[in-house]
Order: sequence, then structure tokens, then C-alpha cells
Amino acid sequence: MANPFRLPMAPRTIRNLFSRPATRRYPTETRQRFDGARATIKFDVETCVYCMICARRCPAAAITCSRDERYWAIEHLTCIGCNVCVEVCNKNSLSMSTDSKSVHTRAEVGPEGQRPGHEEWHGAAPGPAVAKASAG
Amino acid sequence: MKRTVIPFGPQHPVLPEPIVLDLILEDEKVVEAIPTIGYIHRGLEAMVERVEYTEMGFVVERICGICSFMHGMGYCLALESIMNVEVPDRARWLRIIWAEISRIQSHLLWLGLGADAFGFENLFMHCWRMREEILDIFEKTTGGRIIHSVNRIGGVKRDISDSELVAIVAKLDELGKAFDKTAKVFASDASIRHRLSGVGVLPMEDARAVDAVGPMARASGVRIDTRLTGQNLYDQLEFEPVLETAGDCLARVVVRMREVRQSIDLVHQMVEKMPKGEGLPIETKVRGMPSGETFTRLEQPRGEVVYYVKANGTKYLERFRARTPTFANVPAMIKLVKGCDLADVPNIILTIDPCISCTER
Repeated sequence: MANPFRLPMAPRTIRNLFSRPATRRYPTETRQRFDGARATIKFDVETCVYCMICARRCPAAAITCSRDERYWAIEHLTCIGCNVCVEVCNKNSLSMSTDSKSVHTRAEVGPEGQRPGHEEWHGAAPGPAVAKASAG
Repeated sequence: MKRTVIPFGPQHPVLPEPIVLDLILEDEKVVEAIPTIGYIHRGLEAMVERVEYTEMGFVVERICGICSFMHGMGYCLALESIMNVEVPDRARWLRIIWAEISRIQSHLLWLGLGADAFGFENLFMHCWRMREEILDIFEKTTGGRIIHSVNRIGGVKRDISDSELVAIVAKLDELGKAFDKTAKVFASDASIRHRLSGVGVLPMEDARAVDAVGPMARASGVRIDTRLTGQNLYDQLEFEPVLETAGDCLARVVVRMREVRQSIDLVHQMVEKMPKGEGLPIETKVRGMPSGETFTRLEQPRGEVVYYVKANGTKYLERFRARTPTFANVPAMIKLVKGCDLADVPNIILTIDPCISCTER
């Protein structure tokens, strides 16, 4: 049986008294994210052609996209950050950013009943060239 | 004697996950324990019918936050065996390197939780501080701390450069030294011994009879480990499972501590033996739809996991099922809880390393 008067944890505890804290003063001091860390999806409304591949392939069904209304929306709280949409996007409209969004709160719920973490874009109406192509 | 029923869970201070045990007591002794599960059932098996098989791997990873890498890996291995995909060598080595690192992560997490359960919060924080280093390695190499999403059918998404592999090994060595000091506390602290030694003894015959798996069985002296089958390149490594014979709570702690050291050693061997060089292929393009059925086994931190996949030639799988190690260890847990003191119940339940999210999927 071990000696009850031995305190194997004591040296480390005493050392911890005089060493720097292992924790950070979050949120004033934040950690540097590593390159290639996956956090938030960024969307570029200028280049998107609303092909809807991202919405179809998203395993969490976090993306809503409509070609007719030229509408693209993402639920950040549903997004699981798997990077599938970024990989399948043919126009490079989607990218993965390394900074994560701050915590969403109920206060973000807008007057129109917008959900926290919901972000949406409305693209410009298709230009004449596109309209011509679709007519032909 | 009059019997009392005390519910253990679904919210309990030592166990962050929801499981209910109705403990039937006579005085302070537990005479029967009736488990109830199903609090976090997420319907994964129904989900395969509407998520394409290529994306399902990312959902499967989310079965559990601790062994997430191996869930993704097991799913991909199952699909690869159905579709006869030849995975590049480097990808296979990278997978098992990540798998062993995630084993270290899981055991450190559990050792911390175990320390917390028997009231040693100081030790809990030291274990989790070490785990943080592992999470940094994961974030740097895969992009995610907990959910890595790096496995894909046909290989892996990201490569680790050779210089970074050397850095990882050096970091693990450093971690191993820090871990040895913490392991000494687990091994020699009197209060830990008094709390765990001789508590919840599972003899070898009983462990075989209830089909215990993983560290639970190995702590009782049963030589069972899926890595012994030599699948996934483990035949090229010097590997002998960690065995203890006492079968009590302390033995289960010791097995996991020794497995942390063993995993660090395995990562050393893997980095030495894997093919080196820049630009080696890490992925095979997969074409077509899977058809057929298969099952795959893997050794997760908690024990053997089995994946069953049935595909019917469409982009949606017909059936997917995972039998997780905790599910296999629940009978052993019930057996141990019977006849023990009420005060020992949390410790015994925690030493099987229960993962209820895995069990209920």
C-alpha cells in the first residue's frame, strides 16, 4: 500500500504557484489560429452563379440557394465546417476563413424573426448577356 | 430488507453524458441496476437515406467528439472495401498516425475525467492541459480541433509534411515526459489507491463471458485488441497490447496510462516506416456508386468498433450501422455495479469510459 504521507502532486503544485498561468485572458487576449484551420464560410456574392451544387452537397443542409431568386443563405449554427461546399464550388465563390464568428445570442434575433447565425445575400438580377443566353 | 430505488442520471456530476441507471439498493449496497438509454439518439441510420455516401463520412465523424477521427476512418475503410479502392500508402500511414494521436487525446481526456470523479481536480486540470497540446497538433494538421473532417473515401484530404511529422514526434516526446510525472501521481498517490484499488473487480472469466472489449477487457487480462489482426498496417509495427491482471478500477486506469506511452511509441515507429517525400499521392479518385455489403473493425480508444454498410448501387446507402465499444461494455458495467457500494458507482461507471453519444448514435 502506498505511503499516505507521500504527496506526489506537491512539487508540481508548488511549481505552479510561481509559473505563468496556462490560461489566457479571453476575450481580451485571443489565440492565434493556425493556417488552414476551418472556422467560418465566407461567400462572394459577385462571382456566384447560383448553380446550387453547394446546397445539394451540404451534409448538414445548412445552405439554402435559389437560382430564380438569386438568393444564397447559410445557417452558421447548422454548418459543420466540413469544407465540402468550398471544394465543390466551381466559381471559387466560397472560402473557409480561419477566424470563427463570436458566439451567437438570442439578442441577434431581428425584428423580422431572423435566426441567430443566419446570413443571406441577394444577387443582382441577371445581366443582359445571361438573359440572352437563356432566351436562346 | 426494504429496497430503495435511486436514479443515477441522466444528469450526474461525474458523467457529462445522459444515461440513466435505476439503482436498486438494500441499505448501501446496489443489488440491481437497470439501464435506460436513448436520451441522445440522433437517427444516424435514417440519415444515410438522404445524405449522399460521399458526404456521409463527415456526418459519421460527428457520432462522438472524442473518437471522431476513427469514426470517419472506419466509415471510409468500409466504403473503400466495397468499392475496391486502393488507398495510397502515405494516406494509410497518415490515417493511423492521426488515429494513434487521437487515442492519446482520448485517454488523457478520460484520465482527467477519472481524476475529477474521485475528487482530484488538480490532476484533472493537468491532464487536460496536456490534451490541449494534442488538440493543437490536430488543428495544425487537419484544420479542426475535435472534428477533423480529413478522411475521405479514397484517402485523406491533407498531407503532413515530413518536417512537420518530425516536429510532431518531438512534441509528443515532450508530452510523454510531462505525462510520466502525472502518471507517477496516479500510480503512487495514496488517496487514489484507496479509492480505486479492489473496487469493481471484473475477473478474466467474467470479462470473457460478458464480451468486454478494449481497455476494459485488457485490464482483466484478456488479450483482445483489433490491432492484433494486423489490419491497417499494424502488422508492420512492433505491437503488443497492454495487459493488466487485477481487473479493478485501478487496473483500468493503469492500462490507459500505459496505452498513452504505447501510442507515443507507435507514432515514432510509424513516422520512421512511412514513405517519405514531397508530392506523394494521398488520395485516389473514387468513381461510381457502391454496391454490396461489408463490415469493418477498428480499435478505438474505448475498444473494438464495428461498422456495417450495405449499399445498393445508388448514391444513398441502404443501411449503415455502428456497434460502438461502449455498447459492448454496458453488460460488463451492469455486472460490476451489482453488489458494490453506492459511493463506488460513479467510479465504476466512469472506468468503463462510457461514451453514450457513440452508443446511441
